[in-house]
Amino acid sequence: MIAARKAAAIAVLAGLALAFVLACFARPAVAQPAGETGDAPAQVQQPAPQAPQGYVSGHTIHEDKYESHETGMALLFWAFAAATVGGALFVITRRNLIAAVMGMVGSFLGIAAVYMMLYASFLAVLQMLVYAGAIMVLFVFVIMILNRPEDEPVAPTGRAGTALGALSILYIVGRLAMLLMHVHPPAGEAAVEAARKQLDDTRSVIAGIKDSPDAARHRELAEANEAAAELQYAKVASLSVPPPTREGYEWGSVRAVGTDLFDGGLFPFEAISILLLVAVVGAIAIARPLKDDTTGHAGELP
Amino acid sequence: MTDIVFHVGYGHFLVLAAVLFLIGMAGVLVRRNALIILMSVELMLNAANMTLIAFSRMWGDLSAHTFALIVIAVAAAEAAVGLAIVVAVFRGRRNVEVDHLTTLRH
Amino acid sequence: MDVLTPDDYSAGLHFLGLPLLAWIPLLPLLGALINLTLGRKLSRTTVHVIAVAAVAAAAGIAFYVVFGPMFDLYKHDYGGVGISQSPFVWIKIGGFTAEMRFRLDTLSAVMILIVTFIGTLIHIYSTGYMAHDPRFAAFFGYLNLFTGAMLILVLGANLPVMFIGWEGVGLCSFLLIGFWFENEDFATAGRKAFVVNRIGDFCFLLGMFLLYWATKDLAGSKDASLDFFLLKSAPAQQTYMQSFWGGERLAAAAGIFLFIGACGKSAQLPLYVWLPDAMAGPTPVSALIHAATMVTAGVYMVCRMSFLFATSTTALIVVSTVGLLTAMVAAFMALAQQDLKKVLAYSTVSQLGFMFVAAGTGNWTAAIFHLGTHAFFKACLFLGAGSVMHGMEHGGSHTPGDIMTMGGLRKHMPITRVTFMISCLAIAGIFPFSGFFSKDEILGGAFHIHPPGWPVWYGKILWGGLLVAALGTAFYMWRLYFLVFGGEERSEPAKKAHESPLSMTLPLVVLATFATIIGFIGFPHFKSFETPAPMHALASWLEPSVAHEWYEGAGKPAEPIGEASLAEVKACDNRNAKDVCALPGGEGEGVCDVAEPGAKPACSEPGDTGLIGLLILALGIGGLGIGLAWSMYGAGRGGPSRTVQELTEGPLHDVYEASKHKLWVDEIYDAVFVKPFRALARGLFEIVDRFVIDTVAVTGVAFVIGLFGRMSRWFQNGQVQRYLVGLVVGAAAVFLVTDCHTKPTFSYERQPGGTIHLHAQVAGLMRATSVVKWDLDDDGQPDPGVTGIDLVKRADEVAGEVTMWIDDPVDGKTDKVTRTIDLSEDN
Repeated sequence: MIAARKAAAIAVLAGLALAFVLACFARPAVAQPAGETGDAPAQVQQPAPQAPQGYVSGHTIHEDKYESHETGMALLFWAFAAATVGGALFVITRRNLIAAVMGMVGSFLGIAAVYMMLYASFLAVLQMLVYAGAIMVLFVFVIMILNRPEDEPVAPTGRAGTALGALSILYIVGRLAMLLMHVHPPAGEAAVEAARKQLDDTRSVIAGIKDSPDAARHRELAEANEAAAELQYAKVASLSVPPPTREGYEWGSVRAVGTDLFDGGLFPFEAISILLLVAVVGAIAIARPLKDDTTGHAGELP
Repeated sequence: MTDIVFHVGYGHFLVLAAVLFLIGMAGVLVRRNALIILMSVELMLNAANMTLIAFSRMWGDLSAHTFALIVIAVAAAEAAVGLAIVVAVFRGRRNVEVDHLTTLRH
Repeated sequence: MDVLTPDDYSAGLHFLGLPLLAWIPLLPLLGALINLTLGRKLSRTTVHVIAVAAVAAAAGIAFYVVFGPMFDLYKHDYGGVGISQSPFVWIKIGGFTAEMRFRLDTLSAVMILIVTFIGTLIHIYSTGYMAHDPRFAAFFGYLNLFTGAMLILVLGANLPVMFIGWEGVGLCSFLLIGFWFENEDFATAGRKAFVVNRIGDFCFLLGMFLLYWATKDLAGSKDASLDFFLLKSAPAQQTYMQSFWGGERLAAAAGIFLFIGACGKSAQLPLYVWLPDAMAGPTPVSALIHAATMVTAGVYMVCRMSFLFATSTTALIVVSTVGLLTAMVAAFMALAQQDLKKVLAYSTVSQLGFMFVAAGTGNWTAAIFHLGTHAFFKACLFLGAGSVMHGMEHGGSHTPGDIMTMGGLRKHMPITRVTFMISCLAIAGIFPFSGFFSKDEILGGAFHIHPPGWPVWYGKILWGGLLVAALGTAFYMWRLYFLVFGGEERSEPAKKAHESPLSMTLPLVVLATFATIIGFIGFPHFKSFETPAPMHALASWLEPSVAHEWYEGAGKPAEPIGEASLAEVKACDNRNAKDVCALPGGEGEGVCDVAEPGAKPACSEPGDTGLIGLLILALGIGGLGIGLAWSMYGAGRGGPSRTVQELTEGPLHDVYEASKHKLWVDEIYDAVFVKPFRALARGLFEIVDRFVIDTVAVTGVAFVIGLFGRMSRWFQNGQVQRYLVGLVVGAAAVFLVTDCHTKPTFSYERQPGGTIHLHAQVAGLMRATSVVKWDLDDDGQPDPGVTGIDLVKRADEVAGEVTMWIDDPVDGKTDKVTRTIDLSEDN
C-alpha cells in the first residue's frame, strides 16, 4: 500500500511537473481559434462578442464556447495525458497488485478528464463512477481475497519474444503517432468550406442592399446575419467549440446522450441490460464455492 | 515542435488513445498475473472508448457516446465475469498465473 | 415377298428393346455378372446351369441369325453388308464418334458360330472337369466373360469396339491362366501372358491411331470413325496408298503395327512365348482360349483388315514370313516335348503360323477355313488331353501331363482314344478329315502365290517350308498319340486310369464328329447350291467380306500389277484349271480383266495334274510323318524305341536338346530383355525409389516439416501470451509493409495524338491515397485543379519543367519531384 501510494503520488507529481514545464514554454495567448484546418481566415480573429439569437441555426449558442483558451487547454491536456499514461505504465510494471490498481485509478481519472476536454461531460462522469468507482472496488476486493503477491511477474514469452513484442509495440506506437497526429476531420473540412461560403454569401448580400429603401433595417439584420455566419464558421473550424446536437441539447450532456441512447440505441440498451444480468448471474455461478467445498478451496478444477 | 505542444488537436487525443491501448497490450503480453491482464484489458477498452469519443467530436456525431456507454457496460460485465473466473481458478489452484492455465491446450 | 434388305433386318431384329446382335455377347456377359457376384452363394448346379445356359442361348441366337437372316442376305448378295446394329453411341469426342456397333457379315458369322458352338461344348465339358474345384463359380464367370468378350471382338463393327473385346479376352486369358494362382509358377505364367500381350496390344493401338489419322478427314469419319465399312471404302483405300515412310505405303506401317498386335494375341514369333506357359491354366481354358478361339483373334483381325493388307505387299511379306517361321520353329520345338499340353501348345503355335501364311498370301478364305477346322480338332485334342490327365490324376499320378509315364491308355479310355485319333488324323492332314482340306488349301495358295512385287520364287519357299512344318506336325502329333495310347502302360497310374464322365466325353464325340466332316464345306466341288460362284461353299460364303484384289479398291484399274487377282488364286486352288478364266467375277469387278495380254495369269501355271500332284504330295507328307512316328514310338511294346535313344544320344543329340529346350528362347529372352530390364528396375529402385522418393521426398519432407514444427513449437506452446506476441508482431509487419516506400518520382510517355501521359510513382502503399499535385506551367506553384496520380495532357500544355508534390499520409511530409520533360525526344 505504501508503495502504491508513493507510486501514485509520483505519477501525479510527474504530470504536474510536466504541465508546469509546458506552461513555461507557453506562448502568449492568442485569440486565434485552434484548428487543425490551418487555413482559418483572418476575419474570424475577433469574433463578435455578443451572439445573436437563432438567426442562422436556431440553436442556443453559448457565447463563451468559442473563446480560445488554447494554451491553457494544452497544458491541461498534457497533464491529464501524463496521468493517464503514467497510471497505465504503473499498472503493467508494479508487482504489487494494489499499486497496480491505484495506477489504474489514476489512469481512469486522467481519462475522465480527457473526456471532459472533449466535451463528453456525461461520459466523463460515468467513467469516474463506473471505472474509478465500481470496477476499481471490484478489483480491490478480489485482490484482497487472493492476497497473494506474484512470484515472477514477467510472462514466459521468452527473451526473444519479449524483445520482438517490445520492438513491435514501439514501432506501432511511433507509426500510429505519426499517422494520427495528422488526422484532419474530413467532414470538418467540408463544414468549413460550407461555413465560409455562407459567410461570403452574407457579405455579398450586405453589399447588395446598400441602396435599397429600407436599407437601415436590412443592414441591421444583415449584420446580425454576418455575425452569425462568422460564429458558425468559427464553430466548425475550431476544436474547442462543439456544436449542439440536432435536438438542440448541449454536446455531450446527459440529455443529448440520453436522447440518442433511448432513441436509436434502445435495443442495444436493453440488450446490454440483459448482458449485465447474465454477467452478474454468471459471475456468481462461477465464483460460488462448489457444493462440498466448505473450506473455500476445492481441489482441482473439473 | 511548439506547434505540437501548444496546439492540441484531435490527433493528440488519438495518439494518447493509441499509446494507452499499446500499454494495455504490452501488459497483456508480459504479465502472468490474470488480474493484471484483466486490468490491462480494461485499459485497452478505455483507449478504444477515447478514440470513439475523439472521433465523435471530430465528426460531430453523438452516437459514438452511446457506443462508448455500451462499451463501458460490457467492460463492467467482462470485469465481473473475469474476476469471478479468477477467483474460481484461484480456489482450485492457489495461484492465478496464466502460464499455469494450460490444461485446455491438450 | 419382297427381298429383305440389310436395313430391314438391322431395323427389325430386336429382342426386349435391344438389337439381337447385342444380345449375343450380352448373354454370356450377364452370366459372368451373376456368377462373379453371386456365384459364391449359389450351388454348383445353379452356377453350371447359368453358365452353360448363357452360352448356349448365345449360340442359339447366333445359329438363328446366321442361318436365318444372314443366309437370306447372303443369297441376295448382301453378304458383305450384313446386319449392322448399334445399341448406343459409345464415344463422341470432337470429330471422333465410335458407336457400340455390332455387325454380322459372312466373316463374323463364321466366327460367332465357332465361338459359341465350341464355347458351349467346352462349358459343358468344364462342368465335369472342374467338378471338384472350390472356385467353380469364378471359373465359370471367367469363361462366360471370355465368351462375351470374344463375341464383342468378332462382332465389333469398328476398331474401338473390336479393341474392347481384344482387351477383354486378354484379361480373361490372364485370369484363367493364373486361375490356380496359389501355385507361383501358374501366377507367373498368367503375368507373362499379360505382359507379352501388352506389347502386342500397344502396337495394335498404334495401328488403330494411324488408321484414324489417315481416315479422319474422309466423309463419314465424323459419324463412324474407324468403322470397317469406312476403312474399306474406296477413298480410304486411296489414303492407304499414300507414301508414308521410307517409300512404303501407309498400309504397310498400319498393317505391320496391327500384325504385331496379332502376333501377341495369336502367339507368333517373337511374341509366342506366353502360349506354352499358358498351359498352366485348366485344360478347358487351354482348349477354349488358347487353341480354339482367342488365339485365332489375330488371324480373324488380319482377315477382317484384309483390304488393308491387300494394299501393301510389304505387310503381306511380313505376315507370311513370320507365319512360316513360327510354323517351322514351333513344330521343331514340339518334337521333343514331354508334357502332353506343351506338345499341343506348340502345335497350336505352329498351326497359327499356317493360318498367317495363308493370310499373308492373300488366301483369306483358307486362313479362316483352317481357323475353323483347327478350332474343332485342336479343341478336341485339348479336351482329350484333359480327359487323359483327368484319368491319370484319378489313377494317382502327380505329373498327369508327362507322356513318358503314359501308354496303353487305349484300353482304359476308349472314347477319348478314338476322338483323339480322329483329331490327330485331322491335324496330320489325312483325307478325308478336316485338316486335309484346310491345310491343303493353304499349301496350294502358297505355291501359286504371285502378288505384285514378290519374288517369284517366294511362294515356293513358303510352300516348301510349310511342307516341312506339316511333316513335323504329323510326326509329333502321332508321337504323342503313340506315347499316350499305344503300347503298354509305363506306370502304375496309367494302369489305373479310367474313362471320364459323360459330360466330358460327349463334347469330345461332338468335336471329333465335326473334325471329321467340317472339311467338306471346303470340298472343291461341294458348291453352295444356290450360288453361281465357282468357288467352294466357304470361299463363296466369305468372298463378300474379304478383299479380293491386290491393290485397288473396286472399280479402279489395277496399276503396275498384271498378276492374278486374289479370287483367281483361290479359284486356282480349288478348281480345275480350265475353269479359271471363265470366272464370272462376282459383281463384275473385272476380276478377269487383269488376265489380259501382257499380264501373266497365275492360273495358267498349275495345271490339273499339278494340283492333284500337290494334293498327293501333302497327303504323302502326312503319311510319312505318321509312319515315322509309328516306327519310332508306336512299334512293339510302345514307348521310345531304341532308335530314338540312339539318335538322341548320338548324332542328333544337339538337335534333340535344342528342341527339348525350345531353342533356349526363354533363356535368350531372359538374358536380352528380362535381365537388363531387371537391372534397370533395380537401378531405378535404388536411385529413384530409395534416394529420390524415400530419402529426399519422404524423409526430406518430414525433416522440413519437422523443422517448421520445431520453429512453430516456440509460439504454438499453449501460452496465449506467446500467441499474442505473434499477433502484435504481425500487426507491426502490416504497418511495416505499408510503410515501405522508395523515393517517389513520375514518368511520362508520349502518346499518339500529341498528348503526354504523366504517371506518378507514389512509392508506398499508403501513399496511393495521397493527393498528388502538379505544376505543369513551370510557375513553381501547384496548378489549381490539376491533381491525380495519372494525368493526360496535351503536349503544348506541358512546359519543360514539371514538378509534382505528393503528401505522405503517415508523416505528413510532402515530397517534391521536379523533372525536365524533353519533348523532342522520342520515348
